[in-house]
Amino acid sequence: MTISKLLVANRGEIAARVLRTAKARGLATVVLRHVAEQEGPAHLIADEVAMIDGPTPVAAYLDISQIVAAAKKIGADAVHPGYGFLSENAGFVAALEEAGVTFVGPTSQAIDLMGDKVRARAFVEERGFPVAPSAIEDDDPATFVDRARAVGYPLLIKPSAGGGGKGMRVVREDSALETEIETARREGERYFGDGRLFVERYIESPRHIEVQVMGDGQGNVVHFWERECSIQRRFQKIIEETPSPALSPEQRQEICETAAGIARAVKYRGAGTVEFIYARDGAFYFLEMNTRLQVEHPVTEMVTGFDLVAEQLRVAAGQGLSAAQGDIPQNGHSIELRICAEDAGADFRPAIGDILLLDEPTGEGVRVDSGILDDGKVTTDFDPMLSKLIVHGADRAEAIARARQAVQNYVVLGVTTNTGYLDAILAHPDFASGEVSTGFLAEQAETLTAPGADISDLLMAAAALSDARMVDEVMQIPQMHRKMGGWTN
Amino acid sequence: MRRIFQIDGEESECWLAHDGSRFVLTTPDGAVPCQLDPTGLPGGHILRAGGRAHELRLAVGPEATFVHISGRTYEVGRVDPAERLAGRDAGASGDRLVAPMPGVVVTVAVRPGDTVAEGQPLLVIESMKLETTLTAPRDGVIAEMPFAEGDSFGLKDVLAQLAPEE
Repeated sequence: MTISKLLVANRGEIAARVLRTAKARGLATVVLRHVAEQEGPAHLIADEVAMIDGPTPVAAYLDISQIVAAAKKIGADAVHPGYGFLSENAGFVAALEEAGVTFVGPTSQAIDLMGDKVRARAFVEERGFPVAPSAIEDDDPATFVDRARAVGYPLLIKPSAGGGGKGMRVVREDSALETEIETARREGERYFGDGRLFVERYIESPRHIEVQVMGDGQGNVVHFWERECSIQRRFQKIIEETPSPALSPEQRQEICETAAGIARAVKYRGAGTVEFIYARDGAFYFLEMNTRLQVEHPVTEMVTGFDLVAEQLRVAAGQGLSAAQGDIPQNGHSIELRICAEDAGADFRPAIGDILLLDEPTGEGVRVDSGILDDGKVTTDFDPMLSKLIVHGADRAEAIARARQAVQNYVVLGVTTNTGYLDAILAHPDFASGEVSTGFLAEQAETLTAPGADISDLLMAAAALSDARMVDEVMQIPQMHRKMGGWTN
Repeated sequence: MRRIFQIDGEESECWLAHDGSRFVLTTPDGAVPCQLDPTGLPGGHILRAGGRAHELRLAVGPEATFVHISGRTYEVGRVDPAERLAGRDAGASGDRLVAPMPGVVVTVAVRPGDTVAEGQPLLVIESMKLETTLTAPRDGVIAEMPFAEGDSFGLKDVLAQLAPEE
């Protein structure tokens, strides 16, 4: 089967990033746009734009029948889902199959299996791969609370159908267990339409380490090494890097082989990520498998030299993997920073506003996957992530130095972003030494959001002198009175 | 001309003047001779103040000026003191629940006319994928609940209004 025209069923930076590779491979390209959505970089790259509509912009991007119809109408023979939205929706894959359109991703069976955390865990455990102690509600709902208790505190409650940290609750005391279970159930029902839960032992000060895998659907699977994603706020990653500073070469081999083994067990097709919790003692446990391209895939591309979207397109077109395991290097060090419209000093409150000025960094080893344009508008319609800044260096120290330089030169004016906060993380001695866990940002919150040197006088001078009304008014006062005005008013 | 500048929630009243050769900004901390000249970059300027030159990028929005300097971005809110004086008094802040962040209303527990006790849940909102229950700031009677279940709201929108205390 060949792919000649690709619809990217996504938006923002990931749509732009997928379109670039698709165009470079000579494909005709189409991207979606909601009727009320601002023009973004993806709309400028794509050959065609297919308009979609819905009660909300997000609802439109989740509307399977509308998107399948758009693919048919525009003559696309393949759909790339990006991440989020319909990327892990087995119903979408089935609908495309029925319409005779190739889905650039895994089979609906693989999505079904891995999308249900409980089934995925059981599947992985049965095959001898490591999982953390747990209790699953579905096994026997009547005894769930008692079995959760028996797992021991601290424990983590998760929605069975969940992802992205939504609805997760840490429980440290038995007295809070039953209330937290009820809250998690409500959140699960609302986010995923599924209130089933499971609990597992909460590993203290863990790291989040994941492995990029790619399969051809015939049982051949290679890994593209690991990514460390321990820098998270509210269970969501904001800085990722590869290689992980925590792993010895032996541990790296072991965790990457384990991930590839899990993917092989499902005859995985396309790009996927196996996530692990890595404990302080070096033990690691299967967390979940994401059956899509990850937000943080560029760090992997920077150290391996492979274009993962090109690999996805190859596999989807039945051309198989382009490389054997031995051909996939891990050169130098790469770090990704997620640039988000949010106020890190106010509990990461999402920020909105008009982009008045945008100047993104460039330079050696610097890559920006951006979803915004100058003069754009940031609304709460979509996720607060605006773009990703990715750097590469010969080693970790050089990567950190380049990341700091680049993020300091990332100019977004008009909407609050987390660039200063990201720089503060990079500047922290514990980040420099690699001694971090998923709790790092919460533990260091005060240090990381501490105000810098007081430069209010400079800021006020800049604001006053760029204020046309203020300057005009001052200059209109006859010269001899200009200074006096200040005294008398 | 006077301005109130807001930086990180702190307000400073300032006065800009020109002494014939240069601008002088009088802040609560003293007088700062200053000069701002454009460079070639978009929004790029050199600010001379306190005897030093600083490179910066700036953009002037309707209510705030955004300044990128030394690798950090700052927002300087601008308030015209005259406009503030002319502004209407929208009721004591203790009478209102103001959205701490943008989000969606999950449930509404009370209706206008209901008598509520301090700490009583009024509505549940969801922001940043987390549920938060907002409670009555004092005993009183609900005057307005502007949002229904499923409605989206913005930062600082009024989510609940109590009738003024007698």
